[in-house]
Amino acid sequence: MDDEALIEQLLSAHRERDAHGAIQWAPAFYDLSPEARETAFAALLLQRALEAGRDNEGLSTTARAILGRIAG
Amino acid sequence: MPASAADRDALLPAIAAGDMRAFAVWLRDAEPRVRSSLARFARAVDTEAVLQEALLRIWQVAGRVQLDGRGDTLVRLAVQIAHNLAIDHVRRDRRLAPTERAQLESMPFEIDDSPPPDPLLRALIVDCIEKLPKQPSAALHARLENAGFDPDETLANRLGMQLNTFLKNFGRARSLLLDCLRGRGVSLPLNARQPGGL
Repeated sequence: MDDEALIEQLLSAHRERDAHGAIQWAPAFYDLSPEARETAFAALLLQRALEAGRDNEGLSTTARAILGRIAG
Repeated sequence: MPASAADRDALLPAIAAGDMRAFAVWLRDAEPRVRSSLARFARAVDTEAVLQEALLRIWQVAGRVQLDGRGDTLVRLAVQIAHNLAIDHVRRDRRLAPTERAQLESMPFEIDDSPPPDPLLRALIVDCIEKLPKQPSAALHARLENAGFDPDETLANRLGMQLNTFLKNFGRARSLLLDCLRGRGVSLPLNARQPGGL
């Protein structure tokens, strides 16, 4: 998988949990260089702003993932 | 709609009492602030994972938090928790040079106090999304509607796409969406700080 695809994967709000419920890092993170991770962070800021801007409650997929986690 | 630190502080009693709607309102304002404070860690830390962990901890500890009179008590606590988590990871990361590790640990942090995007922006974003080609639109909607519940492999499979195709379509959707918004005169990056280029 190339950097472009890995960056898009890092932008997902999905994160696996371990047996204790702790949030795991995205596997794509480990395959990216520090520079590509910064590029991904910039894209992430834009992506979440777009998601929140489009949502009728102003919530991004991160916020919805957290609420879903709390609701069980 | 809370927009000030005082408004966000006023949500604390309801959040502490377990009101998820109040927490959702707080999350809407808090998430971009806490996220942008993690910019300096982006090279060394999965900021999305750290952010989610910090925001979940806020929900867990809200019942024990007292307003301290400085304003934005929960946001400042969330930033502190996120930074502590990030610094813990940085200290354990032996791939980082000692100088880089020390620099990340010692840098002061600020809370982004810029206003949220104009609510009128929503109509433009929705309109631009409706104009996306079929495949990028499908990938974007799959992620938006799933809200992080399933991994991309599952979403791609549901759409009958290879994972790589799904990811390319998702990236294309964002790129087209940003082009459309720029074409409508929207100033980007929508209050989002950009430490690096796209």
